[in-house]
Amino acid sequence: MGTDLWGTTAIVGVGETDYVRGSDRHVCDLILDAAMEAITDAGLKPADINGIIPPPGYMSTEEIAAHLGVPDVAYHVSVLMGGASPTASLQTAAMAIAGGLADNVLVCMGWNGYSALRPKPDARPTKRVMNLGPMGETVRNHYAPYGLMSAAQHYSLYLRRYVETFGIPEDAAAAVAIACRNHAQLNSKALMRGAPLSRADYDAAPFIAEPLRKFDCCVETDCATAVVVTSLERARDLVHPAVVYLGGAEGHPEPADEIANRANLLELGIHRAAPRAFARAGVSPHDIDVLEIYDCFTYVVLLQLEALGYAEPGGAPAFVANGNIELGGRFPLNTHGGLLSQGHCWGLNHVVEATRQLRGTADAQVTDAELALVTGYGDLGDGSVAILGRDR
Amino acid sequence: MRTYVPTPEWIVLDWHHACIAAELLCIQRCTGCGRWRHPPRRFCPACQSDQAAFEPVTGSGSVLSFAVSHRSLDPGWQAHAPYATLLVELDEGPRLLAATTTPPGEIRIGQRLAVRTEALSENFVLVWADPASHDEPTSMAPRARGNPHD
Repeated sequence: MGTDLWGTTAIVGVGETDYVRGSDRHVCDLILDAAMEAITDAGLKPADINGIIPPPGYMSTEEIAAHLGVPDVAYHVSVLMGGASPTASLQTAAMAIAGGLADNVLVCMGWNGYSALRPKPDARPTKRVMNLGPMGETVRNHYAPYGLMSAAQHYSLYLRRYVETFGIPEDAAAAVAIACRNHAQLNSKALMRGAPLSRADYDAAPFIAEPLRKFDCCVETDCATAVVVTSLERARDLVHPAVVYLGGAEGHPEPADEIANRANLLELGIHRAAPRAFARAGVSPHDIDVLEIYDCFTYVVLLQLEALGYAEPGGAPAFVANGNIELGGRFPLNTHGGLLSQGHCWGLNHVVEATRQLRGTADAQVTDAELALVTGYGDLGDGSVAILGRDR
Repeated sequence: MRTYVPTPEWIVLDWHHACIAAELLCIQRCTGCGRWRHPPRRFCPACQSDQAAFEPVTGSGSVLSFAVSHRSLDPGWQAHAPYATLLVELDEGPRLLAATTTPPGEIRIGQRLAVRTEALSENFVLVWADPASHDEPTSMAPRARGNPHD
């Protein structure tokens, strides 16, 4: 099965809405707009889609199919790993295609990440919510009663340990925040385009949950994204150059449903996913041209870079220094601006950006990009990795 | 001031009821192999036994890590920001979160702690932890700096 799976499917369509704070549109409209755009971008019709992976919450496969006009859903599955879901969904889509269960699989994500808590006065109301999965129980029972409601607070429990164990300087987190903001200035859809970030701005911002300052935290956004995955064989007959799904993996810390009792607080799901993904794709970390790393928080990017093998534990600060992760550096990171500055679409926007980079059509294009790596992270430390390559 | 107090269910509720009945922090312990575990689990991860009891612990532990929140979505906690939440490693091994009266600047990883419980309802106890003191080994007063549940 392994040899029939990796490198035999490709991303052929991408769609994304604007990234805004305060949308006039209902969350379902956002999701369906992005989905239809991805199908159209692939040169396909809704009737060609027969596999669907819906967002974690908000809309069901059945509704999405009915509204788009997908007549025959042969396969669907929900992936509930928080922000690790979209990138993990690619392996599920590839399995369905390689196994002959579906031909063209739609993966979609969208939410009212800003407006759910702050609806516009004239906005159309919604009762639709995200599916928090296992995280919901733990937060409700064990974290929220202690004043830890938000992701920034939950993750600060181990980010504090990370910073103190290795003496991680704020310089490193600032380098990630500023690189993402710089890249957002080049992205036509980035929420933070036109709002550059200086080191003085970063330093002056208040703490949210130590060590996280305001600009270490991603931006809550209303947005949706979608991709279409198909077989590499079919992909070569479609409009865009195929972006091959070379390998991917998911991983979960132990225990996955809570943080406190992990033997090593700093061993996350991606530590398990990363070696699996590189082995499946048959590439090494230094073969990669573009990094699209799940950046809910800057320090989480640093931890993931170490888990991926770009630095030893505690060594990420040197990796992100001296422009290495900026456009023009050796490892440009989050070339769309990331969750920190383009907008938060659960990392499916990272997959969209990686696809554009490998097509050669990104707003902040990396010259001759042939291999891109995407990560997902969420749900108290689950991780996912996807390695994508230009068709040769 | 409104502060969130959950209504747990299933084996998490059993844990809270055990702590309330004992007026002490209790932790689940495998009847088969004696291993302590938290949060409550159906089966022992070491020996797979489903026989377990909630037994009192010494209430001694240390700071493994801690969160310092400068903002909270909860109005009761927001009134006390910045506040620390401790990740406590009990001497018995299991770890859990604890509220503290200690100002964030006085907390260090590795610091020794004394733990106590406060019943906030018939179905929920809050765990408190503050630096261990020879003068007051068991009765840390949680209201010294302000209790978000007041």
